[in-house]
Amino acid sequence: MQKILIVEDDEKLATHLAKEVKKYGYDVLIGTDFSNLMNEFNIYQPHLVLLDINLPSYDGFYWCRQIRQVSTCPVIFISARTGEMDQVMALENGGDDFITKPFSPEIVMAKVRSQLRRAYGEYAAQQQERIVEQKGLQLFPERLELSFNNKTISVTKNEADIIEILLERFPRVAGREDLLEKLWDDQTFVDENTLNVNITRVRKKFLEVGIADAVETIRGVGYRLHVTW
Amino acid sequence: MKLFLKEHIFLIVVQIIQLTTVVGIVWLAGFRQVEIILYSLFLGGFFLVCYLIYYYIRRRNFYKRLSVPVRTLDETLQEQDDVAIGKALNQLLKAQYNLFQEQFIVMGKKQEEHLIFMDRWIHQMKTPLSVIELMAKDLDEPDASSFREETDRLKAGLNMVLYMGRLRTIEQDFHIKKVDLLKLIQEVNQDNKRLYIRNNLYPEVNEKQTNIMVESDEKWLFFMVSQLVQNAVKYSTGKSNKIQFVLDEQDGNVVLEVRDFGVGIPKEDVRRIFDAFYTGENGRQYRESTGMGLFLVKEVAEYLGHKIEVTSTVGEGSTFCIIFN
Repeated sequence: MQKILIVEDDEKLATHLAKEVKKYGYDVLIGTDFSNLMNEFNIYQPHLVLLDINLPSYDGFYWCRQIRQVSTCPVIFISARTGEMDQVMALENGGDDFITKPFSPEIVMAKVRSQLRRAYGEYAAQQQERIVEQKGLQLFPERLELSFNNKTISVTKNEADIIEILLERFPRVAGREDLLEKLWDDQTFVDENTLNVNITRVRKKFLEVGIADAVETIRGVGYRLHVTW
Repeated sequence: MKLFLKEHIFLIVVQIIQLTTVVGIVWLAGFRQVEIILYSLFLGGFFLVCYLIYYYIRRRNFYKRLSVPVRTLDETLQEQDDVAIGKALNQLLKAQYNLFQEQFIVMGKKQEEHLIFMDRWIHQMKTPLSVIELMAKDLDEPDASSFREETDRLKAGLNMVLYMGRLRTIEQDFHIKKVDLLKLIQEVNQDNKRLYIRNNLYPEVNEKQTNIMVESDEKWLFFMVSQLVQNAVKYSTGKSNKIQFVLDEQDGNVVLEVRDFGVGIPKEDVRRIFDAFYTGENGRQYRESTGMGLFLVKEVAEYLGHKIEVTSTVGEGSTFCIIFN
Protein backbone atom coordinates (compact mmCIF):
# COMPACT_ATOMS: atom_id res chain seq x y z
CA MET A 1 0.00 0.00 0.00
CA GLN A 2 1.34 3.39 -0.91
CA LYS A 3 1.99 5.74 1.96
CA ILE A 4 1.12 9.42 2.11
CA LEU A 5 2.37 11.90 4.70
CA ILE A 6 0.12 14.88 5.39
CA VAL A 7 1.77 17.94 6.93
CA GLU A 8 -0.88 20.50 7.87
CA ASP A 9 -1.05 22.37 11.15
CA ASP A 10 -4.83 22.69 11.16
CA GLU A 11 -5.78 19.46 12.86
CA LYS A 12 -9.33 19.26 11.56
CA LEU A 13 -8.32 19.90 8.00
CA ALA A 14 -5.58 17.30 8.28
CA THR A 15 -8.00 14.69 9.66
CA HIS A 16 -10.58 15.32 6.95
CA LEU A 17 -7.97 15.24 4.26
CA ALA A 18 -6.61 11.98 5.68
CA LYS A 19 -10.11 10.50 5.64
CA GLU A 20 -10.52 11.41 1.95
CA VAL A 21 -7.14 9.99 1.04
CA LYS A 22 -7.79 6.78 2.96
CA LYS A 23 -11.00 6.25 0.96
CA TYR A 24 -8.81 5.76 -2.08
CA GLY A 25 -6.89 3.03 -0.39
CA TYR A 26 -3.73 4.79 0.69
CA ASP A 27 -2.02 4.55 4.03
CA VAL A 28 -1.87 7.96 5.72
CA LEU A 29 0.20 9.53 8.45
CA ILE A 30 -0.44 13.04 9.74
CA GLY A 31 2.74 14.82 10.70
CA THR A 32 2.64 16.20 14.22
CA ASP A 33 6.14 17.29 15.22
CA PHE A 34 6.53 20.54 13.30
CA SER A 35 9.95 21.29 14.72
CA ASN A 36 11.39 18.00 13.55
CA LEU A 37 9.38 16.60 10.67
CA MET A 38 12.33 14.75 9.17
CA ASN A 39 12.21 12.31 12.05
CA GLU A 40 8.68 11.26 11.13
CA PHE A 41 9.53 11.31 7.45
CA ASN A 42 12.49 8.99 7.87
CA ILE A 43 10.58 6.49 10.00
CA TYR A 44 7.44 6.48 7.82
CA GLN A 45 9.18 6.64 4.42
CA PRO A 46 6.13 7.97 2.53
CA HIS A 47 5.63 7.67 -1.22
CA LEU A 48 4.18 11.18 -1.38
CA VAL A 49 3.95 14.23 0.87
CA LEU A 50 1.10 16.75 1.06
CA LEU A 51 2.72 19.84 2.53
CA ASP A 52 1.22 23.06 3.85
CA ILE A 53 3.34 26.21 3.46
CA ASN A 54 2.38 28.13 6.60
CA LEU A 55 3.58 25.99 9.47
CA PRO A 56 4.80 26.71 12.99
CA SER A 57 8.61 26.86 13.47
CA TYR A 58 9.69 26.38 9.84
CA ASP A 59 7.70 26.88 6.67
CA GLY A 60 6.83 24.28 4.06
CA PHE A 61 9.59 25.45 1.70
CA TYR A 62 12.17 24.64 4.35
CA TRP A 63 10.80 21.14 4.92
CA CYS A 64 10.64 20.52 1.19
CA ARG A 65 14.35 21.33 0.89
CA GLN A 66 15.07 18.98 3.81
CA ILE A 67 13.07 16.20 2.20
CA ARG A 68 14.88 16.72 -1.08
CA GLN A 69 18.20 15.98 0.64
CA VAL A 70 17.12 12.44 1.43
CA SER A 71 14.33 11.59 -1.03
CA THR A 72 12.90 12.29 -4.46
CA CYS A 73 9.33 11.38 -3.55
CA PRO A 74 6.64 13.68 -4.96
CA VAL A 75 5.78 16.69 -2.78
CA ILE A 76 2.48 18.51 -3.35
CA PHE A 77 2.09 21.86 -1.66
CA ILE A 78 -1.28 22.81 -0.23
CA SER A 79 -1.61 26.45 0.60
CA ALA A 80 -4.03 29.33 0.92
CA ARG A 81 -1.55 31.55 -0.89
CA THR A 82 -2.52 32.06 -4.48
CA GLY A 83 0.22 34.42 -5.65
CA GLU A 84 2.32 33.41 -8.62
CA MET A 85 5.41 34.06 -6.54
CA ASP A 86 4.40 31.44 -3.96
CA GLN A 87 3.81 28.86 -6.66
CA VAL A 88 7.18 29.63 -8.20
CA MET A 89 8.82 29.37 -4.77
CA ALA A 90 7.10 26.04 -4.17
CA LEU A 91 8.45 24.58 -7.40
CA GLU A 92 11.89 26.16 -6.91
CA ASN A 93 12.17 24.57 -3.50
CA GLY A 94 11.62 21.12 -4.91
CA GLY A 95 7.82 20.81 -4.93
CA ASP A 96 6.10 18.89 -7.72
CA ASP A 97 2.67 20.48 -7.68
CA PHE A 98 0.60 23.13 -5.99
CA ILE A 99 -2.99 23.09 -4.71
CA THR A 100 -4.70 26.20 -3.38
CA LYS A 101 -7.13 26.27 -0.50
CA PRO A 102 -10.04 25.89 -0.43
CA PHE A 103 -9.67 22.78 -2.53
CA SER A 104 -12.03 20.08 -3.63
CA PRO A 105 -11.02 16.59 -2.50
CA GLU A 106 -11.40 15.35 -6.08
CA ILE A 107 -8.65 17.67 -7.26
CA VAL A 108 -6.35 16.65 -4.43
CA MET A 109 -6.89 13.00 -5.23
CA ALA A 110 -6.45 13.50 -8.95
CA LYS A 111 -3.14 15.26 -8.37
CA VAL A 112 -1.99 12.69 -5.81
CA ARG A 113 -2.69 9.85 -8.20
CA SER A 114 -1.07 11.55 -11.16
CA GLN A 115 2.06 12.31 -9.14
CA LEU A 116 2.26 8.74 -7.85
CA ARG A 117 1.80 7.38 -11.35
CA ARG A 118 4.55 9.60 -12.67
CA ALA A 119 6.94 8.73 -9.87
CA TYR A 120 6.33 5.00 -9.51
CA GLY A 121 4.81 4.00 -12.84
CA GLU A 122 1.46 2.69 -14.04
CA TYR A 123 2.14 -0.75 -12.66
CA ALA A 124 2.40 0.35 -9.07
CA ALA A 125 -0.81 2.32 -9.39
CA GLN A 126 -2.61 -0.58 -10.98
CA GLN A 127 -1.66 -3.01 -8.29
CA GLN A 128 -4.20 -1.46 -6.04
CA GLU A 129 -7.06 -0.70 -8.33
CA ARG A 130 -9.71 1.40 -6.74
CA ILE A 131 -12.87 -0.41 -5.81
CA VAL A 132 -15.98 1.33 -4.59
CA GLU A 133 -18.05 -1.16 -2.72
CA GLN A 134 -21.29 -1.35 -0.80
CA LYS A 135 -22.62 -4.61 0.60
CA GLY A 136 -21.18 -6.79 -2.14
CA LEU A 137 -21.96 -4.44 -5.02
CA GLN A 138 -18.62 -3.47 -6.50
CA LEU A 139 -17.71 -0.76 -8.94
CA PHE A 140 -14.30 -0.58 -10.66
CA PRO A 141 -14.18 3.04 -11.80
CA GLU A 142 -10.92 2.63 -13.73
CA ARG A 143 -12.06 -0.44 -15.66
CA LEU A 144 -15.66 0.84 -15.98
CA GLU A 145 -17.09 -2.39 -14.63
CA LEU A 146 -19.85 -3.22 -12.20
CA SER A 147 -19.86 -6.50 -10.35
CA PHE A 148 -22.40 -8.26 -8.14
CA ASN A 149 -22.86 -11.91 -7.23
CA ASN A 150 -20.04 -13.01 -9.54
CA LYS A 151 -21.71 -11.24 -12.42
CA THR A 152 -19.68 -8.50 -14.07
CA ILE A 153 -20.98 -6.07 -16.67
CA SER A 154 -19.42 -3.04 -18.27
CA VAL A 155 -20.81 0.46 -17.77
CA THR A 156 -20.25 3.80 -19.52
CA LYS A 157 -18.23 6.61 -18.01
CA ASN A 158 -21.36 8.56 -17.09
CA GLU A 159 -22.98 5.53 -15.50
CA ALA A 160 -19.83 4.76 -13.57
CA ASP A 161 -19.69 8.34 -12.30
CA ILE A 162 -23.29 8.17 -11.10
CA ILE A 163 -22.91 4.74 -9.52
CA GLU A 164 -19.72 5.86 -7.80
CA ILE A 165 -21.45 8.83 -6.21
CA LEU A 166 -24.47 6.73 -5.20
CA LEU A 167 -22.21 4.16 -3.55
CA GLU A 168 -20.03 6.71 -1.85
CA ARG A 169 -22.95 8.70 -0.54
CA PHE A 170 -24.75 5.62 0.78
CA PRO A 171 -26.84 5.69 2.97
CA ARG A 172 -27.22 9.39 2.35
CA VAL A 173 -28.82 11.07 -0.64
CA ALA A 174 -26.62 11.78 -3.64
CA GLY A 175 -27.38 15.42 -4.45
CA ARG A 176 -28.42 16.36 -7.97
CA GLU A 177 -25.90 19.19 -7.91
CA ASP A 178 -23.10 16.73 -7.13
CA LEU A 179 -24.27 14.38 -9.87
CA LEU A 180 -24.58 17.13 -12.47
CA GLU A 181 -21.22 18.57 -11.48
CA LYS A 182 -19.61 15.21 -12.01
CA LEU A 183 -21.26 14.75 -15.40
CA TRP A 184 -20.32 18.19 -16.72
CA ASP A 185 -17.05 18.35 -18.50
CA ASP A 186 -15.27 21.05 -20.44
CA GLN A 187 -17.54 21.22 -23.44
CA THR A 188 -20.75 19.40 -22.71
CA PHE A 189 -23.04 20.84 -20.12
CA VAL A 190 -25.58 18.37 -18.97
CA ASP A 191 -29.11 19.32 -18.03
CA GLU A 192 -31.64 17.71 -15.74
CA ASN A 193 -33.08 15.56 -18.56
CA THR A 194 -29.73 14.03 -19.40
CA LEU A 195 -29.29 13.19 -15.75
CA ASN A 196 -32.70 11.51 -15.70
CA VAL A 197 -31.82 9.50 -18.79
CA ASN A 198 -28.54 8.41 -17.22
CA ILE A 199 -30.26 7.42 -14.00
CA THR A 200 -32.67 5.27 -16.01
CA ARG A 201 -29.69 3.59 -17.63
CA VAL A 202 -28.11 3.00 -14.24
CA ARG A 203 -31.32 1.37 -13.01
CA LYS A 204 -31.23 -0.91 -16.05
CA LYS A 205 -27.61 -1.81 -15.35
CA PHE A 206 -28.56 -2.65 -11.78
CA LEU A 207 -31.34 -4.89 -13.10
CA GLU A 208 -28.82 -6.64 -15.35
CA VAL A 209 -26.83 -7.72 -12.31
CA GLY A 210 -30.02 -8.63 -10.50
CA ILE A 211 -30.76 -5.60 -8.35
CA ALA A 212 -34.19 -4.00 -8.55
CA ASP A 213 -35.61 -0.79 -7.08
CA ALA A 214 -32.34 0.25 -5.52
CA VAL A 215 -32.33 3.86 -6.72
CA GLU A 216 -34.96 6.09 -5.20
CA THR A 217 -35.72 9.49 -6.69
CA ILE A 218 -36.02 12.32 -4.20
CA ARG A 219 -37.64 15.15 -6.06
CA GLY A 220 -35.62 18.33 -6.34
CA VAL A 221 -32.88 16.93 -4.13
CA GLY A 222 -31.28 13.90 -5.72
CA TYR A 223 -31.21 10.13 -5.59
CA ARG A 224 -30.76 7.63 -2.81
CA LEU A 225 -29.42 4.12 -2.95
CA HIS A 226 -31.26 1.43 -1.00
CA VAL A 227 -29.86 -1.98 -0.25
CA THR A 228 -32.64 -4.12 -1.68
CA TRP A 229 -30.46 -7.12 -2.26
CA MET B 1 1.45 93.26 -7.14
CA LYS B 2 -2.22 93.50 -6.36
CA LEU B 3 -1.70 92.10 -2.92
CA PHE B 4 1.22 94.48 -2.36
CA LEU B 5 -0.86 97.51 -3.33
CA LYS B 6 -3.78 96.36 -1.26
CA GLU B 7 -1.55 96.02 1.73
CA HIS B 8 0.03 99.47 1.27
CA ILE B 9 -3.00 101.51 0.27
CA PHE B 10 -3.51 102.60 3.85
CA LEU B 11 0.11 103.76 4.11
CA ILE B 12 -0.32 105.79 0.93
CA VAL B 13 -3.54 107.36 2.19
CA VAL B 14 -1.91 108.25 5.53
CA GLN B 15 1.03 109.78 3.68
CA ILE B 16 -1.29 111.93 1.57
CA ILE B 17 -3.23 113.08 4.63
CA GLN B 18 0.05 113.84 6.41
CA LEU B 19 1.44 115.88 3.50
CA THR B 20 -1.79 117.85 3.01
CA THR B 21 -1.98 118.55 6.75
CA VAL B 22 1.61 119.85 6.82
CA VAL B 23 1.04 121.97 3.70
CA GLY B 24 -2.26 123.25 5.10
CA ILE B 25 -0.66 124.34 8.37
CA VAL B 26 2.17 126.07 6.53
CA TRP B 27 -0.34 127.74 4.17
CA LEU B 28 -2.54 128.93 7.03
CA ALA B 29 0.53 130.28 8.85
CA GLY B 30 0.94 132.71 5.97
CA PHE B 31 3.60 131.08 3.88
CA ARG B 32 2.70 131.72 0.24
CA GLN B 33 5.68 130.52 -1.87
CA VAL B 34 3.90 128.02 -4.08
CA GLU B 35 7.04 126.56 -5.75
CA ILE B 36 8.61 125.60 -2.45
CA ILE B 37 5.41 124.03 -1.20
CA LEU B 38 5.05 122.04 -4.43
CA TYR B 39 8.71 121.05 -4.26
CA SER B 40 8.38 119.73 -0.74
CA LEU B 41 5.21 117.89 -1.78
CA PHE B 42 7.11 116.36 -4.67
CA LEU B 43 9.97 115.32 -2.39
CA GLY B 44 7.57 113.74 0.07
CA GLY B 45 5.88 111.83 -2.74
CA PHE B 46 9.24 110.84 -4.23
CA PHE B 47 10.50 109.27 -1.01
CA LEU B 48 7.24 107.41 -0.57
CA VAL B 49 7.45 105.96 -4.08
CA CYS B 50 11.15 105.09 -3.61
CA TYR B 51 10.34 103.33 -0.39
CA LEU B 52 7.50 101.38 -1.98
CA ILE B 53 9.58 100.31 -4.98
CA TYR B 54 12.50 99.22 -2.86
CA TYR B 55 10.19 97.38 -0.50
CA TYR B 56 8.39 95.64 -3.33
CA ILE B 57 11.55 94.52 -5.10
CA ARG B 58 12.99 93.00 -1.94
CA ARG B 59 9.81 91.09 -1.25
CA ARG B 60 8.67 90.34 -4.77
CA ASN B 61 8.86 86.55 -4.41
CA PHE B 62 7.30 86.71 -1.03
CA TYR B 63 4.24 88.45 -2.42
CA LYS B 64 4.10 86.18 -5.41
CA ARG B 65 4.19 83.19 -3.12
CA LEU B 66 1.36 84.57 -1.04
CA SER B 67 -0.91 85.19 -3.99
CA VAL B 68 -0.29 82.03 -6.10
CA PRO B 69 -2.00 78.88 -4.74
CA VAL B 70 0.21 75.87 -3.98
CA ARG B 71 -0.29 72.97 -6.37
CA THR B 72 2.13 70.39 -5.05
CA LEU B 73 3.55 69.80 -1.61
CA ASP B 74 7.10 70.28 -2.86
CA GLU B 75 6.26 73.79 -4.04
CA THR B 76 6.02 74.87 -0.43
CA LEU B 77 9.77 74.34 -0.13
CA GLN B 78 10.87 76.99 -2.68
CA GLU B 79 13.53 79.41 -1.53
CA GLN B 80 12.34 82.75 -0.23
CA ASP B 81 13.60 86.35 -0.45
CA ASP B 82 16.30 87.18 2.00
CA VAL B 83 14.13 89.31 4.27
CA ALA B 84 12.96 88.60 7.78
CA ILE B 85 9.32 88.07 6.90
CA GLY B 86 10.19 85.82 3.96
CA LYS B 87 12.38 83.67 6.15
CA ALA B 88 9.67 83.47 8.75
CA LEU B 89 7.16 82.30 6.12
CA ASN B 90 9.68 79.78 4.88
CA GLN B 91 10.15 78.35 8.32
CA LEU B 92 6.44 78.12 8.85
CA LEU B 93 5.93 76.33 5.55
CA LYS B 94 8.79 73.98 6.24
CA ALA B 95 7.40 73.10 9.64
CA GLN B 96 4.00 72.50 8.11
CA TYR B 97 5.52 70.41 5.35
CA ASN B 98 7.34 68.24 7.85
CA LEU B 99 4.24 67.83 9.94
CA PHE B 100 2.25 66.76 6.91
CA GLN B 101 4.95 64.42 5.77
CA GLU B 102 5.06 62.78 9.18
CA GLN B 103 1.33 62.27 9.19
CA PHE B 104 1.44 60.95 5.65
CA ILE B 105 4.01 58.37 6.66
CA VAL B 106 1.96 57.36 9.68
CA MET B 107 -1.21 57.05 7.59
CA GLY B 108 0.62 55.22 4.82
CA LYS B 109 2.01 52.75 7.33
CA LYS B 110 -1.41 52.23 8.82
CA GLN B 111 -2.91 51.56 5.43
CA GLU B 112 -0.10 49.23 4.51
CA GLU B 113 -0.61 47.35 7.77
CA HIS B 114 -4.30 47.19 7.09
CA LEU B 115 -3.74 45.75 3.63
CA ILE B 116 -1.30 43.14 4.91
CA PHE B 117 -3.72 42.28 7.67
CA MET B 118 -6.58 41.84 5.19
CA ASP B 119 -4.43 39.68 2.97
CA ARG B 120 -3.33 37.44 5.85
CA TRP B 121 -6.83 37.28 7.22
CA ILE B 122 -8.35 36.22 3.92
CA HIS B 123 -5.77 33.49 3.57
CA GLN B 124 -6.39 32.36 7.11
CA MET B 125 -10.12 32.14 6.50
CA LYS B 126 -9.51 29.69 3.71
CA THR B 127 -8.48 26.90 6.08
CA PRO B 128 -11.71 26.89 8.11
CA LEU B 129 -13.59 27.20 4.82
CA SER B 130 -11.87 24.06 3.55
CA VAL B 131 -12.74 22.25 6.77
CA ILE B 132 -16.41 23.26 6.55
CA GLU B 133 -16.54 22.12 2.94
CA LEU B 134 -15.08 18.74 3.78
CA MET B 135 -17.39 18.32 6.78
CA ALA B 136 -20.42 19.29 4.72
CA LYS B 137 -19.74 16.37 2.41
CA ASP B 138 -20.69 14.05 5.25
CA LEU B 139 -24.11 15.63 5.67
CA ASP B 140 -27.22 14.32 3.97
CA GLU B 141 -28.95 16.20 1.18
CA PRO B 142 -30.31 18.80 0.82
CA ASP B 143 -28.16 20.17 3.66
CA ALA B 144 -24.89 19.23 1.95
CA SER B 145 -25.76 21.27 -1.15
CA SER B 146 -27.09 24.08 0.96
CA PHE B 147 -23.82 24.24 2.92
CA ARG B 148 -21.93 24.18 -0.32
CA GLU B 149 -23.93 27.13 -1.62
CA GLU B 150 -23.04 29.18 1.43
CA THR B 151 -19.36 28.25 1.38
CA ASP B 152 -19.30 29.17 -2.31
CA ARG B 153 -20.72 32.58 -1.44
CA LEU B 154 -18.08 33.01 1.24
CA LYS B 155 -15.42 32.01 -1.23
CA ALA B 156 -16.64 34.47 -3.85
CA GLY B 157 -16.75 37.22 -1.24
CA LEU B 158 -13.24 36.51 0.04
CA ASN B 159 -11.96 36.40 -3.49
CA MET B 160 -13.42 39.79 -4.28
CA VAL B 161 -11.80 41.36 -1.20
CA LEU B 162 -8.51 39.72 -2.10
CA TYR B 163 -8.58 41.20 -5.58
CA MET B 164 -9.69 44.56 -4.25
CA GLY B 165 -6.61 44.65 -2.03
CA ARG B 166 -4.42 43.62 -4.93
CA LEU B 167 -5.86 46.33 -7.15
CA ARG B 168 -3.86 48.92 -5.21
CA THR B 169 -0.65 47.26 -6.23
CA ILE B 170 -1.79 46.13 -9.67
CA GLU B 171 1.13 47.94 -11.32
CA GLN B 172 3.51 45.37 -9.86
CA ASP B 173 1.10 42.54 -10.23
CA PHE B 174 0.30 42.12 -13.86
CA HIS B 175 2.06 40.46 -16.75
CA ILE B 176 0.70 41.11 -20.21
CA LYS B 177 1.03 38.13 -22.46
CA LYS B 178 -0.93 36.27 -25.12
CA VAL B 179 -4.05 34.70 -23.67
CA ASP B 180 -6.21 32.10 -25.39
CA LEU B 181 -9.65 33.62 -24.91
CA LEU B 182 -11.66 30.45 -25.53
CA LYS B 183 -9.59 28.51 -23.04
CA LEU B 184 -10.00 31.25 -20.47
CA ILE B 185 -13.78 31.24 -20.87
CA GLN B 186 -13.86 27.48 -20.46
CA GLU B 187 -11.80 27.78 -17.30
CA VAL B 188 -14.15 30.42 -15.90
CA ASN B 189 -17.12 28.18 -16.71
CA GLN B 190 -15.44 25.23 -15.03
CA ASP B 191 -14.82 27.36 -12.00
CA ASN B 192 -18.46 28.42 -11.85
CA LYS B 193 -19.90 25.02 -12.69
CA ARG B 194 -21.68 24.68 -9.40
CA LEU B 195 -23.16 28.17 -9.70
CA TYR B 196 -24.63 27.37 -13.11
CA ILE B 197 -26.04 24.06 -11.98
CA ARG B 198 -27.57 25.55 -8.88
CA ASN B 199 -29.33 28.21 -10.91
CA ASN B 200 -30.28 25.98 -13.83
CA LEU B 201 -28.24 27.95 -16.31
CA TYR B 202 -26.13 26.71 -19.18
CA PRO B 203 -23.22 28.60 -20.65
CA GLU B 204 -23.10 28.69 -24.42
CA VAL B 205 -19.93 29.68 -26.23
CA ASN B 206 -20.33 31.15 -29.69
CA GLU B 207 -17.00 31.42 -31.46
CA LYS B 208 -17.36 33.60 -34.55
CA GLN B 209 -13.66 33.27 -35.19
CA THR B 210 -11.46 30.50 -33.98
CA ASN B 211 -8.14 30.74 -32.19
CA ILE B 212 -8.62 34.20 -30.81
CA MET B 213 -5.65 35.37 -28.79
CA VAL B 214 -5.59 38.62 -26.84
CA GLU B 215 -2.86 40.58 -25.11
CA SER B 216 -3.87 40.66 -21.48
CA ASP B 217 -3.13 39.46 -17.98
CA GLU B 218 -4.61 36.04 -17.51
CA LYS B 219 -5.31 36.28 -13.81
CA TRP B 220 -7.00 39.65 -13.92
CA LEU B 221 -8.96 38.82 -17.07
CA PHE B 222 -10.15 35.65 -15.37
CA PHE B 223 -11.30 37.78 -12.46
CA MET B 224 -13.15 40.19 -14.77
CA VAL B 225 -14.97 37.48 -16.69
CA SER B 226 -15.83 35.68 -13.45
CA GLN B 227 -17.41 38.83 -12.07
CA LEU B 228 -19.45 39.30 -15.24
CA VAL B 229 -20.55 35.68 -15.10
CA GLN B 230 -21.57 35.93 -11.46
CA ASN B 231 -23.64 39.01 -12.23
CA ALA B 232 -25.19 37.43 -15.29
CA VAL B 233 -26.19 34.37 -13.27
CA LYS B 234 -27.54 36.41 -10.41
CA TYR B 235 -29.83 38.45 -12.62
CA SER B 236 -31.09 35.68 -14.87
CA THR B 237 -31.97 32.98 -12.35
CA GLY B 238 -35.48 31.78 -12.99
CA LYS B 239 -35.87 33.98 -16.05
CA SER B 240 -33.85 32.13 -18.62
CA ASN B 241 -31.61 29.12 -18.82
CA LYS B 242 -28.58 30.29 -20.70
CA ILE B 243 -25.65 32.66 -20.60
CA GLN B 244 -24.06 33.40 -23.93
CA PHE B 245 -20.41 34.10 -24.65
CA VAL B 246 -19.66 35.58 -28.06
CA LEU B 247 -16.10 35.85 -29.31
CA ASP B 248 -15.69 38.08 -32.31
CA GLU B 249 -13.37 40.46 -34.08
CA GLN B 250 -14.68 43.89 -35.09
CA ASP B 251 -12.53 46.52 -36.85
CA GLY B 252 -9.39 44.67 -35.83
CA ASN B 253 -10.43 44.61 -32.18
CA VAL B 254 -11.29 41.42 -30.38
CA VAL B 255 -14.62 41.66 -28.59
CA LEU B 256 -15.84 39.32 -25.88
CA GLU B 257 -19.56 39.54 -25.15
CA VAL B 258 -21.11 38.10 -22.03
CA ARG B 259 -24.85 38.10 -22.63
CA ASP B 260 -27.63 37.17 -20.27
CA PHE B 261 -31.37 37.03 -20.84
CA GLY B 262 -32.33 38.12 -17.38
CA VAL B 263 -33.99 41.12 -15.82
CA GLY B 264 -31.90 43.79 -17.54
CA ILE B 265 -30.78 47.10 -16.09
CA PRO B 266 -33.10 50.14 -15.86
CA LYS B 267 -32.01 52.97 -18.16
CA GLU B 268 -31.33 55.43 -15.36
CA ASP B 269 -28.95 52.92 -13.72
CA VAL B 270 -26.89 51.93 -16.77
CA ARG B 271 -24.61 54.96 -16.61
CA ARG B 272 -23.75 54.42 -12.99
CA ILE B 273 -23.37 50.66 -12.63
CA PHE B 274 -19.59 50.96 -12.79
CA ASP B 275 -19.51 53.43 -9.88
CA ALA B 276 -18.21 52.14 -6.56
CA PHE B 277 -20.91 51.04 -4.11
CA TYR B 278 -23.65 51.78 -6.63
CA THR B 279 -26.21 49.00 -6.54
CA GLY B 280 -29.14 50.47 -8.44
CA GLU B 281 -32.68 49.17 -8.61
CA ASN B 282 -31.66 45.56 -9.27
CA GLY B 283 -29.13 45.58 -6.47
CA ARG B 284 -31.79 46.59 -4.01
CA GLN B 285 -34.09 43.81 -5.11
CA TYR B 286 -31.53 41.02 -5.14
CA ARG B 287 -29.54 39.99 -2.15
CA GLU B 288 -25.82 40.36 -1.67
CA SER B 289 -25.12 43.24 -3.99
CA THR B 290 -22.04 45.05 -2.83
CA GLY B 291 -21.81 47.47 -5.70
CA MET B 292 -18.14 46.56 -5.93
CA GLY B 293 -18.03 43.88 -8.61
CA LEU B 294 -18.54 46.01 -11.70
CA PHE B 295 -16.51 48.85 -10.22
CA LEU B 296 -13.56 46.49 -9.88
CA VAL B 297 -14.12 45.17 -13.39
CA LYS B 298 -13.98 48.70 -14.75
CA GLU B 299 -10.85 49.57 -12.76
CA VAL B 300 -9.04 46.44 -13.89
CA ALA B 301 -10.11 47.02 -17.50
CA GLU B 302 -8.58 50.49 -17.35
CA TYR B 303 -5.27 49.13 -16.07
CA LEU B 304 -5.16 46.44 -18.71
CA GLY B 305 -6.12 48.87 -21.45
CA HIS B 306 -9.39 47.14 -22.33
CA LYS B 307 -12.65 48.90 -22.92
CA ILE B 308 -15.84 47.80 -21.28
CA GLU B 309 -19.30 48.54 -22.62
CA VAL B 310 -22.79 47.62 -21.63
CA THR B 311 -26.14 47.54 -23.37
CA SER B 312 -29.28 46.46 -21.64
CA THR B 313 -33.04 46.31 -22.02
CA VAL B 314 -35.26 45.86 -19.02
CA GLY B 315 -36.93 42.47 -19.16
CA GLU B 316 -34.75 41.16 -21.94
CA GLY B 317 -31.27 41.03 -20.53
CA SER B 318 -27.88 42.70 -20.57
CA THR B 319 -24.76 42.39 -22.67
CA PHE B 320 -21.34 43.28 -21.34
CA CYS B 321 -18.54 43.65 -23.89
CA ILE B 322 -14.85 43.60 -23.17
CA ILE B 323 -13.07 45.19 -26.09
CA PHE B 324 -9.37 44.37 -26.51
CA ASN B 325 -7.15 46.55 -28.63
